[in-house]
Amino acid sequence: MKFDETDIKIIRNLQRDARTNFADIAEECGVSVDTIIKRFQRLRRHGVVRGTTILLDPRHLGLDCPASLEINVEPVHVADVVDQMRRQPGVVFCTPSMGMQNIFAVVVLKGMNELNTLIEKTKTLPHVKGVKTSIWVENILLCPENFELEGLKVEAS
Amino acid sequence: MDEIDEKIIEIMTGDARTSFRKIAKELDRSPDTIINRFQRLRDAGDIRGSTVVVEPRKIGYEGMAAFHIDASTSGGSKTDLTSILKTIIKMPNIIVATKTVGDHDLLAIGVIHDFDHLMRLGKEIAAIPGIKNIQTAIWAGGGEVCPRYFII
Repeated sequence: MKFDETDIKIIRNLQRDARTNFADIAEECGVSVDTIIKRFQRLRRHGVVRGTTILLDPRHLGLDCPASLEINVEPVHVADVVDQMRRQPGVVFCTPSMGMQNIFAVVVLKGMNELNTLIEKTKTLPHVKGVKTSIWVENILLCPENFELEGLKVEAS
Repeated sequence: MDEIDEKIIEIMTGDARTSFRKIAKELDRSPDTIINRFQRLRDAGDIRGSTVVVEPRKIGYEGMAAFHIDASTSGGSKTDLTSILKTIIKMPNIIVATKTVGDHDLLAIGVIHDFDHLMRLGKEIAAIPGIKNIQTAIWAGGGEVCPRYFII
């Protein structure tokens, strides 16, 4: 699949606001609305775009305790522990990682008590050697537009 | 927030482009009600915005990295974390940044093209005045992307 200026403009517009009218994007690109619709469908079909979503502020939803965990596990058991962590309520992201620790996870919980419970539980999982915690405070800054799109080739799929 | 708000959030989390008319039909309310509710959720900041979920691997990113950052102290007080944070979030490829309490002062998460790029990005962050130490965790691919709250 070839990736051109129009594709980039579609993604850039939708990164800022997923509800942007295709008519507005079409005008910006100097093409028809149909073209934008077809391009968007093509981006989805090729898996470049996985979908659109709204971003929620966890604290507004009573989830006052977003945090990241770095978990140290005996290397051969990383996949096991990742599986178990992903099943814990409040764990929104968990992946094997390389660095000082070998699992990185992001959790969103109601408060310190819930976080503490999760950490204690994590520590008791078999093969877990240690957990480091960073609680995310104040404004969490997000910038979906920081993906570099210009000059990139999209892999054929 | 009531059941209607929750439903709107649920539907739009799955597809932010769902038309208000369709949501209205599904919830057996008027489109105006849905539009007003959505606006209210946005104004209140419950919904921060909407975005497109891009698959990093498809656009040339091999992985992601989390930078755990410690700021230096000068004259007994911490460097201005807010200004460091603002510098970091403006850097290309950094998609999440936050102050943290715990083992480190700041956390930044970025998308990574390759090892060269990772090294460059690490260096760029290290060059920001007031940064004492960076610990990096890297992982392949975009992980199991769950963009309900963050874009990772």
